[in-house]
Amino acid sequence: MFSRRALEALTAAITGAFGIAILVQSLDNGIGWSSAGVESGTFPFMTGLIVVAGSLYNLARGWLRGREIVVTAVEFRRTVALFLPAVVYVALIPLLGMYVTSGLYLLATLRLQNGMSLLRSVLVAVVVSVGLYLVFEWSFQVALPHGLLGAWLER
Amino acid sequence: MQNFDLLMHGFSIAISVPHIALMIGGVLLGILVGVLPGLGAPNGVSLLLPITFGMQPVSAIILLSSIYWGALFGGSVTSILFNIPGEPSSVATTFDGYPMARSGRATQALATAFGSAAFGAMVGVVLITCLASWIAGVALEFGPAEYFAVYFLAFSSFIGVGGSPPMKTVVSLTIGFAIAAIGMDTVSGQVRLTMGIDELVKGVNFVVAVMGLFGIGELLIAVEEEMHARAVSSRIDWGEVFRTIVGLPRHGWVLLRSAAIGCWMGITPGGPTAASFMSYGIAKRVSRRRDKFGTGEPEGIVAPETADHAAGTSALLPMLSLGIPGSATAAVMMGGLMIWGLNPGPALFTEQPDFVWGLIASMYLGNIVAVILVLLTVPIFAALMRLPFFIIAPLIFIVCVVGAYSVSNSYLDVVLMMGFGVLGYLFKKLDYPLAPLVLAIVIGDKAEDAFRQSMLMSQGSLGIFFGNALVTTLVAMGFALLVVPPLLRLIGVWRRPVRPA
Repeated sequence: MFSRRALEALTAAITGAFGIAILVQSLDNGIGWSSAGVESGTFPFMTGLIVVAGSLYNLARGWLRGREIVVTAVEFRRTVALFLPAVVYVALIPLLGMYVTSGLYLLATLRLQNGMSLLRSVLVAVVVSVGLYLVFEWSFQVALPHGLLGAWLER
Repeated sequence: MQNFDLLMHGFSIAISVPHIALMIGGVLLGILVGVLPGLGAPNGVSLLLPITFGMQPVSAIILLSSIYWGALFGGSVTSILFNIPGEPSSVATTFDGYPMARSGRATQALATAFGSAAFGAMVGVVLITCLASWIAGVALEFGPAEYFAVYFLAFSSFIGVGGSPPMKTVVSLTIGFAIAAIGMDTVSGQVRLTMGIDELVKGVNFVVAVMGLFGIGELLIAVEEEMHARAVSSRIDWGEVFRTIVGLPRHGWVLLRSAAIGCWMGITPGGPTAASFMSYGIAKRVSRRRDKFGTGEPEGIVAPETADHAAGTSALLPMLSLGIPGSATAAVMMGGLMIWGLNPGPALFTEQPDFVWGLIASMYLGNIVAVILVLLTVPIFAALMRLPFFIIAPLIFIVCVVGAYSVSNSYLDVVLMMGFGVLGYLFKKLDYPLAPLVLAIVIGDKAEDAFRQSMLMSQGSLGIFFGNALVTTLVAMGFALLVVPPLLRLIGVWRRPVRPA
């Protein structure tokens, strides 16, 4: 599905883009020497230069090296099947809060994705959500996000 | 013998009921994160960081370092019983550990691993006891230029002898520096690199990066490879444990050599993973029974385990005496030190002797506690591994999300962590090293400050880095580490540590 070449290029593109962002941003802070010493953009600017140069090198080298497939379609599907629900989970946190979302996330992955029995998946989901609440809210007194749902309930 | 007195004083601090309890709790938690794929020592330590804020620093560091020991041991358990390395540094243990366990000698394999691991760790701790305060004493004389030279040396050794493609190490390291620079600049008070996101003024916490890179990234790799836990029996035969441990001195030469490799790789930030591979490779090359390696040869377990633990332990030496962590986990601990208001580095030995020697004494005890606990709990943790991965994976995800959020109660951190997760997956897939990135996030600001202070002193002239014999030597060694390995490779003398395909 994906060759090493494609992944190398993607990664080099990500690191390179980050490098360019650093260069552009650090220009705002000024690079070089002022009466107060080295200006605050100088160090980031140098790192940015190295990141861009290194990314170009890795891009060229990765492109020349091997066309072998490093991620097969089956493997990719498994990875997406784990990551996509997790992205939805994170996206729902501001809405429903940490506890409800964590429970729903577990319920969805266990029951819908992996066919665990309804009773057992509900049990796992409830135990984990309540456990999180007890550990954080109750014993450490750290408030995890309650979300818009929490705000609405606490009206 | 002043060190000895100080060490005894350290023991008087470390041996107390609450501290022993913290050690036991920390080791158990460490074994847990070590056993679970996706969670490792850096994650375990970062997860518990928020709850240490209210503790005495010495209690906090005992807890965190105990997690570290536990995780190092836990990683070996799964390597041997399931052929699944719980930690990257215990990959080499699977080569001979799993075949030995599968042939019905699980107890012998585990006892060999733990025995040599404990030996490696002890050598590391003795090294710290003897050398740390001396190195700190030398380092007290350092000015900003010398400091920057030491940082430079540390980063060069990552690039030169870290075992990953050098340019990938460079990119990983410099990205870490840039991330460290995000937010308020401590010198000028200017806001830097926020990409227009106001919340980034507070900077990017290293815990967030650790959770994403090591937690989510590793989980994505693990699910892709679809691990099957094909366990062998995990019953422990205590007579066999005793016979194996008593028989270990037969491998004395391997033990000593592996410990030396481990200590060297731990102090120079090569890290435990590189150390265990290198030690295994050398053991295989020089052994008379080299064709037996890979089929359950005891020396194939002794070599990587000893080096892994020696490196893991001695990684704390530069952290304590110079303020430069030798591994990702040490970097996280150092981040903790700074949050507790301690200033890691040579001054720690004179300003906080209770903390330093309490920690060193607790290393002796913590490793003994870890060996005993890991032997006692092997069946329990082995049972845990039989849980299907589709249950463990979402649970680890939740742990990472909660962990990232609770560092500074910020949802943005959770989103950043997911980004780091994708980056971690790509980096692992393509042999970019992760430890330099984390290391650079933690000490990036200090390295930059050292550089800017040196520039202030010299009025902008780079000549300050060649101003005296000491700093010139350090800088020259740094450049040598950058230049010599590629040259040696070019003429074919140096070979990289063996890695599995």
